[in-house]
Amino acid sequence: MSLLQAEDITIMDGKTTLLKPLSLRLDPGVPLVILGETGSGKSLMAQAIMGTLPATLTAKGRVAIGKQILNAGAPDQFRGLWGRQIGVLPQEPWLSLDPLMRARNQVAETHTLVRGLHRQQADRQARDDLAALGLAGAENKYPHTLSGGMAQRVAIAAARAGGARIVIADEPTKGLDAPRRDDVAKLLMNEMGDSGGLLVITHDLALAQRLGSQMIVLRRGEVVEQGDTHQIFASPRATYTQEFLEADPERWSPKEPRSPTAPAVVTAHDLTVARANKTLFSGVSFSIAQGHVFGVTGPSGCGKSSLGDALLGLITPRAGQVLRRAGEAPHSFQKLYQDPVSAFPRKRSLGQTLDDTVAFSGCAHGKIDALLEQLDLDPALLKRRPDAVSGGELQRLSLLRVLLRTPSFICADEPTSRLDPITQKRVIALLTQTTQDDGVALMLISHDTALIRNTADTVLALDAQSHENATPDVPRQSVAIPTL
Amino acid sequence: MNVIASRFVQAVMVAVLIGTATFIMMRSLPGDAAWRIAAGRYGYDHIDAAAADAVRNELGLDGPALPALLQWLGDLMRLDFGNSLVTGQPVINEITHQLGASVSLACVAILLSLLMGPPLGILAGLKPNGWLDRGLLLVSTGLKAIPQFLMALVLIVVIAVQLRWLPAAGHGEAKHFILPSLTLALGLAAVNARIARDAMARIAEMPFWRFAHWKGLSTRQTLLRHGLRNVAVPLTTYLGLQFVTLVEGVIIVESIFGWPGIGHALVHAIFSRDVPMVQGTALVLGLGFVAVNTAIDLTVRRIDPRVAS
Amino acid sequence: MNHMNALDLRSTSWRITPIIGAALVFVVALFALLGSVIVPGDAFEQSLLKALSGPEPLAPLGYDHLGRSVYHRLVDALWLSPIIAVAAVITAAGAGLVLGTLAAAMGGWIERLLVIVADALLALPGLLLVLIVLAMVPGTALGFWAGLSLVLWVEFFRLTRATSREVIASPAVQASRLLGFGPVYLFRVHIWPEIAPMMLTAAAFGTATAIMAIAALGFVHVGMRAPTPELGLMMVELLPYWREAPLALLSPVIATFTLLLGLTLLAGSRIS
Repeated sequence: MSLLQAEDITIMDGKTTLLKPLSLRLDPGVPLVILGETGSGKSLMAQAIMGTLPATLTAKGRVAIGKQILNAGAPDQFRGLWGRQIGVLPQEPWLSLDPLMRARNQVAETHTLVRGLHRQQADRQARDDLAALGLAGAENKYPHTLSGGMAQRVAIAAARAGGARIVIADEPTKGLDAPRRDDVAKLLMNEMGDSGGLLVITHDLALAQRLGSQMIVLRRGEVVEQGDTHQIFASPRATYTQEFLEADPERWSPKEPRSPTAPAVVTAHDLTVARANKTLFSGVSFSIAQGHVFGVTGPSGCGKSSLGDALLGLITPRAGQVLRRAGEAPHSFQKLYQDPVSAFPRKRSLGQTLDDTVAFSGCAHGKIDALLEQLDLDPALLKRRPDAVSGGELQRLSLLRVLLRTPSFICADEPTSRLDPITQKRVIALLTQTTQDDGVALMLISHDTALIRNTADTVLALDAQSHENATPDVPRQSVAIPTL
Repeated sequence: MNVIASRFVQAVMVAVLIGTATFIMMRSLPGDAAWRIAAGRYGYDHIDAAAADAVRNELGLDGPALPALLQWLGDLMRLDFGNSLVTGQPVINEITHQLGASVSLACVAILLSLLMGPPLGILAGLKPNGWLDRGLLLVSTGLKAIPQFLMALVLIVVIAVQLRWLPAAGHGEAKHFILPSLTLALGLAAVNARIARDAMARIAEMPFWRFAHWKGLSTRQTLLRHGLRNVAVPLTTYLGLQFVTLVEGVIIVESIFGWPGIGHALVHAIFSRDVPMVQGTALVLGLGFVAVNTAIDLTVRRIDPRVAS
Repeated sequence: MNHMNALDLRSTSWRITPIIGAALVFVVALFALLGSVIVPGDAFEQSLLKALSGPEPLAPLGYDHLGRSVYHRLVDALWLSPIIAVAAVITAAGAGLVLGTLAAAMGGWIERLLVIVADALLALPGLLLVLIVLAMVPGTALGFWAGLSLVLWVEFFRLTRATSREVIASPAVQASRLLGFGPVYLFRVHIWPEIAPMMLTAAAFGTATAIMAIAALGFVHVGMRAPTPELGLMMVELLPYWREAPLALLSPVIATFTLLLGLTLLAGSRIS
């Protein structure tokens, strides 16, 4: 017997259909993944099953949980299931814990208030729960002192303490590094066990692959493909699924390695960088040639961004030198940001901002039009403000803006980490192609090792633990530029 | 430790500002300042030119300003405020007498405002744009636009003069507390109701609020276990800032209701140019603000572990 | 759950309240401007025989205890404190804006010094500062202007500094700097658009605070001196005659409340 069965769930916003009729069933011990990009309706599906849709949206369809049959159009009925039947692993585990309460109490209160255990019993149970998740010793910590992964484990313990057999996880790997992603998959599988149910909403292909079993691919509120995960990964039937799978950096065609023929634009010599008195890395030396892509990767907190800032001259390294090619113009070093919205003046139209840059740098106004075409951007976008443009478009506009300055070096700091995979692939392709054509030295920073591996001519992997004497690694046969 | 240090710097700056201001005030007193100060010290019957000269020399009233100012500030730092120019009593004695009356009035007012404002604010914040929220917004905006003296006037006219329920002035009995403390409390409650309302509405939008429901807690349980404590943090922080409003209110309200407190004394001292009294009372009020805010900083650090680290 | 709905409603009420506020302020301003044109008269002329008598064509709000026209005294009073208040707010806003931006941009000891001074002033109740300045500066109007400017600049300084700091540290400013834009552009394009709406709010609040302070001190006899027509002074003078001439007392009360409510609404529902 299935744990949960949803039939013909439809979601409307007034007269617009956001999700076309979708049915699914959760069986014990068989995880189900709903895969899709932003706006595919995958989170709405989860919300409909939980009864947490915003009141402005209307849902239709039936949800059967155990012996109960509920109407998706009446979300109030679902409340009694929370914690008792359905446990939700929230998107932002850190923000989902009460900042003023110790970890143990956040789990124990579910035991007392939902299961009705006695205080001491609940307390003991909470300790056991946390210890079982490898959190022994962290019971008395406040959320802000927990790492993201620890917070996630506390959250899952708290969510399930009420006895829920079904776990729904919405984007559980959002913002996590690759190794942590595997931990999440393992954690979710363990929590499910043989008798529990697991529904995972994600755009993360690696996570979907690791969880295996069943998968539904959604696009714009419609099911594109449905079936066995491994089969879909091996031979996707729909073109969209193919495109989506190919957008995974793991599957990108490796770049033809090139050895440097041109002189170095920027050279780092024995660089040591510290932030807030903590040495991030030391003794790093390399140089980047014209038209080349220099990839930097490593876990969060390893100093990737600080390395970029040091090269740009935004922070002063503790030791070592950054040498620019002789005769460089003062503003030929430019940067692309992770969140392009925050990199533009908030209350000015994009067109005005670009005009300012043109007027200031003294290049011809026609250059904007030429670049718009080159980067495949609609000129109508220029009338809008930065927050009214999609992330992929805005990142290309950021590139356009720095190109107006005819840069010789661009540092792109996680330029695509907030974009959907298909958009990411497109932006990275445009970025590397344009810089290569214009002879710009590009430093590409990303936590995604596969992305860097398949894009860069040279790779520098920074490590969070041993930051001593990191040197660029030479992928495949390409040759690192000899340092000065 | 950092908190204490920066509050200490603030306290010293407050003392220097008040000291300097009162020093300038003293130098610009009409007539012979030395004579008046000597009179304050020894009483009008016991002064002569010699005594006035002694004072003039001691305080450097005729000499260059800077050494005299330093002397003045030095006395201040030793908490030597001198004697009142009006009563001749040591300023410190007068202040200790009045402080109790002011503190008790302020405490009653704060307590009253906390009983009125935050509960209503929290209820309103749980249902943003509900009828309670709209009503509260209307009332609190209206109350904020009524200055304390106007509130006092309205209460006196309506309750004391028209209805004759309570005395308009006086001190000593419990009933005398009602009108002055209510005057202060209504203004404070208008503000802390808004703070509680906004904090509650913000918290109800936070992931942890939603997650507590997902764990299976009812809204009541979520409010008691997670809502109240989180609302308390901004509320406590703002209480420190509200203290300024409270002190301003105390100055006005004490003068209106004839409450024998420090605010009343300050207004009198200003009126009669009693510089040592002005200095003493102003200093107590300024340092009181710093002390209250230090206590609040430390309290917030206790409630909110994020601030401490 | 209906937070989307709530947001919509909120945004509409957000647009309406400042308009109501502006309308109230406008009505009071119109009265102050045109009051003595519509009904000519003098605020100081006494006719003791008419003391506390009711309205008549030449004195639409009746007479006070000294037989002066309440209407004309009110017109004068509604000139006096708003003008002092606006002058103080302009001075304070200018000083706060310049010093706040300077502190945020320069950092270092300049910023630390300014913050220490601002914090110390913050610890002193505004009325107390105004009282002390009033005792030092000759001329009550000038004293109020100086004292209120001294009190009000702190709020502008803190707002400007906090916002500027945040903006200056943002990627947007970093990007503009990398592109080569200078401080004037950074201020015009990045900082000012963020500060401007707050300045407006703070200015409305500042004006209300200043008018309240002048009236409050007038009410306890340490502000403007008789026979100057001033809102607080008028109220305290007329309070003993509440039973005989309620309209005479209500006139300044209602005018003050309307003006302050208008300014509060104009400022929006922001706290502090």
